[in-house]
Amino acid sequence: MQIDALMEAFSLVFDPFVLLVIFGAAVFGLFVGAIPGLSAGMALALLVPITFFMDPVPAIGAIVSVTAMALFAGDIPAALLRMPGTAASAAYTDESYALAQKGQLDLALGVNLVFSALGGLFGVAFLIVAAPSLAEFALNFSTFEYFWLTALGLTTSVLITTENPIKGVASLLIGLSLGTVGLDPSAGFPRFTFGSVELMGGIHMIAAIIGMFALSEILRNAMSKQKPEQAAIQTTSNIFAGVWPVWKKYWTHFFRGSAIGTVIGALPGAGADIAAWVSYAVAKRFSKEPEKFGTGHIEGIVDATSANNSALAGAWIPATVFGIPGDSLTAIAISVLFMKGMNPGPTIFTHNPQFIYAIFIIFVLANIAMVPLGWVMIKFSKQVLRVPRDVLLPIILIFSIVGAFAMTNSVYAVSLMLATGVLGWLMEKNDFPVGPVILALVLGGIFEQNFMSSMFKSDGSLLAFFERPIAGTLGVLTLSIWAFMLVSGIRQGARQRAGRRLSRRPGAQAPSP
Amino acid sequence: MRVNDAVSGLILMLFAAAMLMMASQFPGFPGQNYGPGLFPMVLGFGILLCGGILTARGLVAHFSDGQPWWLRDPAGSSFLSFALIVGSVLFYIFASDTVGFILSSLAILLALFARFRVRWRVALPVAIGTTLAMQYFFVNLMRVPLARGWLDSVL
Repeated sequence: MQIDALMEAFSLVFDPFVLLVIFGAAVFGLFVGAIPGLSAGMALALLVPITFFMDPVPAIGAIVSVTAMALFAGDIPAALLRMPGTAASAAYTDESYALAQKGQLDLALGVNLVFSALGGLFGVAFLIVAAPSLAEFALNFSTFEYFWLTALGLTTSVLITTENPIKGVASLLIGLSLGTVGLDPSAGFPRFTFGSVELMGGIHMIAAIIGMFALSEILRNAMSKQKPEQAAIQTTSNIFAGVWPVWKKYWTHFFRGSAIGTVIGALPGAGADIAAWVSYAVAKRFSKEPEKFGTGHIEGIVDATSANNSALAGAWIPATVFGIPGDSLTAIAISVLFMKGMNPGPTIFTHNPQFIYAIFIIFVLANIAMVPLGWVMIKFSKQVLRVPRDVLLPIILIFSIVGAFAMTNSVYAVSLMLATGVLGWLMEKNDFPVGPVILALVLGGIFEQNFMSSMFKSDGSLLAFFERPIAGTLGVLTLSIWAFMLVSGIRQGARQRAGRRLSRRPGAQAPSP
Repeated sequence: MRVNDAVSGLILMLFAAAMLMMASQFPGFPGQNYGPGLFPMVLGFGILLCGGILTARGLVAHFSDGQPWWLRDPAGSSFLSFALIVGSVLFYIFASDTVGFILSSLAILLALFARFRVRWRVALPVAIGTTLAMQYFFVNLMRVPLARGWLDSVL
């Protein structure tokens, strides 16, 4: 670790403006994350146009802080209203709510807050230890390794996030196709631009992100007429009182959940949602009292709430080291890094280590600040949850329009936002996942570049993609995941047909899928 | 709107066919038998395959299980809100240059508040406050050239 770079990072972060930005983003993240229907992705998408005008360090500060806070804040309405504020809280929403119904709301919120922050810190510690050494290793990677690593990341994002792999793959391919619009990376030939000068620069990534994550969510929220019921929201008292006994009893769970979360986050393609589901399932599987799960038992919450926040930091490992984000949230973050000219990858660790250290410091700060800020948020949760959605949605719409406009200073970005927003809404309605589109859009350019330069190097021979040991291993791994997906997809189809045949026989019971 | 997989599959196949047709026209690199069209072609074939599988599944679901081609959204969802939001963005795209940001924003906010039945004594101050805050933040602080439009002489 270079001491002077570390010192520089400290002075970059501990600047009054940067700290103010981190604080502002934190409050914003807590607010958006706590409102059911407004996701962490939306919080980030709305913030990105503002970071556009900032220096790299405050921009990263805003991004890290808003996502960390939004992920925790998603736990608040889960416990209060049985509605997860963000998807990453869905795994243990029922458990938190059941606990609150048993009169232990304080315990549920306290544990969620403290273990979210600790899980985040665990993930950061791993990021600090693992990323630089991994970066040194990654310096030897050629385009072949990067090609397969990107392919693996894109593949896993589909494999684990969707029940319907074909639709997931279609989403991914649509995202990659959108990424091919504009001048091609190897010859500068304009593709799919239809004579438009603006499209030559490619689909504007941030306008598309605002469309897919903000506009499509506005549409979804506005169309459902059902108002979230004004359930009687319980009042909290001392949320920290029960946390210490829980720590003493379940500290091993904390380490297990955080470790699972960090590793899953570090896998290219998987993020906080998956981490929460997996660690909750693991907690239940190895529990001494699995029958208590689902009835308001704190054990699984400890695992899962630690896991989703640690996954966030874990996801920054492949993002900073290889430039390959772990999930759609980190994909948005990566697009901001590119926008700021800080091309993530192993070289950033040697050329601009102060930025990497600044990311570490911001992560630690954000997770420490989470405890007091989260506590205040819980105190005000009653008021925040009462803010009517009907007033918020039009404001968010205007903000999205202006945010998109500011990216190109023209209505071109607004049109792009509208198109991607409607597309995202239609896809979501028909079970096509939106996350892979964004991931593919962000990674598409690099993916094609690595593919084309590998093709040039090997003179068009596909065998060369497997000749280097690491590339070969990654290649075989990726291809076997494809084969596995294909086989399980066919099996799933066959099972459904068999099920239908059975159910058509009079008197026969259809097997549950 | 939810559609049968055959419909979405067909749309995907049409999209892929258009993409393949255009990509096949791209010139090759000198001395190579592939060029800027290679990657889009690979993607196009992939989408074609996905679309084909979805279509096949959808057809099976329609003809052997009687699944309809498309489903209306469940009662209680509102097409008008959808149209109003999309219309607002279209309005901004086409009219904001003439009308200006401030008036467009006020119009969009008030129209949506009216649709969502927000009370006027809440709607009016929130619409004005939001618009002025955006104007101040983006124009004065971030130097974004939001259109002045009809208010050009006032601003």
